[in-house]
Amino acid sequence: MDALIALLLIVLMLVVLGSGLWIGLALLGVGVFAMELFSTRPVGDAMVLTIWGSTSSWTLTALPLFLWMGEILFRSKLSEGMFRGLSPWLNHIPGRLLHVNVIGCAIFAAVSGSSAATCATIGKITLPELKKRGYPDHMAVGTLSGAGTLGLLIPPSIIMIVYGVAANVSIAKLFMAGVIPGILLAMVFMGYIVVWALRNPQQVPAADAHVGLLAKLYEGRHLLPVVALIIVVLGSIYSGIATATEAAALGVAGSLALAAIEGSLSWRKFYEGLGSAVRVYCMIGLILAGAAFLTLAMGFIGLPRHLAEFIGGLGLSPFALMLVLMGFFILLGCFLDGISMVVLTMAVLLPTVQSAGFDLLWFGIFIVLVVEMAQITPPVGFNLFVLQGLTKREITWLARVSMPLFWLMVSFVMLVYFVPGIITWLPGLMQ
Amino acid sequence: MKSALLAFYRLLGLLAMLAMVAALITVGLSVLAREASWDIQGLDAYAGYAIVAALFLALPITFQRGEHIRVTLLMGKLPQRWSNALQVWSLLAGSALSALLAWFAVRLVWISWSTHDVSPAMDASPLWIPQLAMALGCIGMAVACLDALLSHLLGLPFFDTHAHGEAARIE
Repeated sequence: MDALIALLLIVLMLVVLGSGLWIGLALLGVGVFAMELFSTRPVGDAMVLTIWGSTSSWTLTALPLFLWMGEILFRSKLSEGMFRGLSPWLNHIPGRLLHVNVIGCAIFAAVSGSSAATCATIGKITLPELKKRGYPDHMAVGTLSGAGTLGLLIPPSIIMIVYGVAANVSIAKLFMAGVIPGILLAMVFMGYIVVWALRNPQQVPAADAHVGLLAKLYEGRHLLPVVALIIVVLGSIYSGIATATEAAALGVAGSLALAAIEGSLSWRKFYEGLGSAVRVYCMIGLILAGAAFLTLAMGFIGLPRHLAEFIGGLGLSPFALMLVLMGFFILLGCFLDGISMVVLTMAVLLPTVQSAGFDLLWFGIFIVLVVEMAQITPPVGFNLFVLQGLTKREITWLARVSMPLFWLMVSFVMLVYFVPGIITWLPGLMQ
Repeated sequence: MKSALLAFYRLLGLLAMLAMVAALITVGLSVLAREASWDIQGLDAYAGYAIVAALFLALPITFQRGEHIRVTLLMGKLPQRWSNALQVWSLLAGSALSALLAWFAVRLVWISWSTHDVSPAMDASPLWIPQLAMALGCIGMAVACLDALLSHLLGLPFFDTHAHGEAARIE
């Protein structure tokens, strides 16, 4: 009977989501349906109380503020400065300026919480510059698409806040857990560019004019604003001076100051950035509200517990379970966005994950990595949508050039499974 | 009528933006207060109220600009008649659910007000005040959904889809 209810609800969920109902409302609707049918609790009052409780939290305040920070920086001249500061240094590595994509994304990821924003901000400057110099499109776009996903892994990260709130894991620790995997994954992408460049030297255009060391250092000054912001945001979290929420507020203030100093801050831009941040937060918030109630409803009917018992009864090894979950997420990622994936998973799978003995901090980074892959798999992959806007290319072509990066991420997940210290070492050093 | 409704959604959106600024100021104040050892009680709770207001008050304008996400895979693939049916279903279900939410959000304000419910945190504010913003936003959303449904059935435009040039920058 329980299995039948579970199956019914899962099918209903997929049908309702597939029908095109707005995702937040769909989660809410399935929650109402499940609770009306399978429990005797009064639904409406429980619904608003849960939603009120989950959306009025101090911890969640970090999310809109980081979104706002990203919107301000997207409208600033930060990415131009980064291109000028980085490119003189990268001319002599095999693959040359293609590395600007990866390093640029990694640095921007350290001040932005979102993968699509990272991709758009870096891409709007690197893609035209790389094209002008004659770099092959498939490498320029492919590496950008993969490296853009670092926006999720390198803190601050919207998806980590969503996971942290849902799974009750410290957001500061999650942020720190993402640092080393983020840097390593960026190095993996750079290694890929180097290997490609050594094998196809004829496709790599000539270097820009040679620049002396002093000139390089002088050009490097364009990186100072972003480095200062990173120190303010991540430094304050790591040192324990500020919580994630406070660091987000410092980040917004810092970005506003930065935009004001470089002269790109106007009332109009301020208004647009704020409006955009509020609407994006509203979109995410509606999903969070729906998911909070769905989690409650699922808890009442005991579905997560039964699922955990069922999966526990299969006797899968943790490795096999991880593979199954990864496959399931990649499949889900083909038609759902990352935030909905995380909240749905948390509503249903949390007890399973706990009883399988996964460390919740490790699992958070694992989910982020898998969501990253989902960002670049068609038909629904938000980085692909961003790139479509930037390049006007077919989504199938974009997906194809991103594929090598996708496989690199799959192997990276294997790496963090066998060497979990990559994730857990740095947060372990915090008090 | 149409333009009055749109002005209503925009007004709520504007209030949501003010709420976001309020959240920033509140969190900023709490950092300052700690560094300077001022004693301001309950700032944590105020930040929470501010983001609730930002979230719910922005619901209608976000909806009107087509920025709430949905799975459009099936709708895009089906012939016109069927995707039209799915749109009507989505708007019907959306209207029903947001009306339900609005009803109970108003009820929550009423219960908090009549039982003199105060915040359990340090601020001890009467909860009906911040909950009012949530109720107002939910009412706005229900109105917007009904507006969209009626507009769709009458063949009038509702969604402002060209407004969001950068809709993809969401996560």
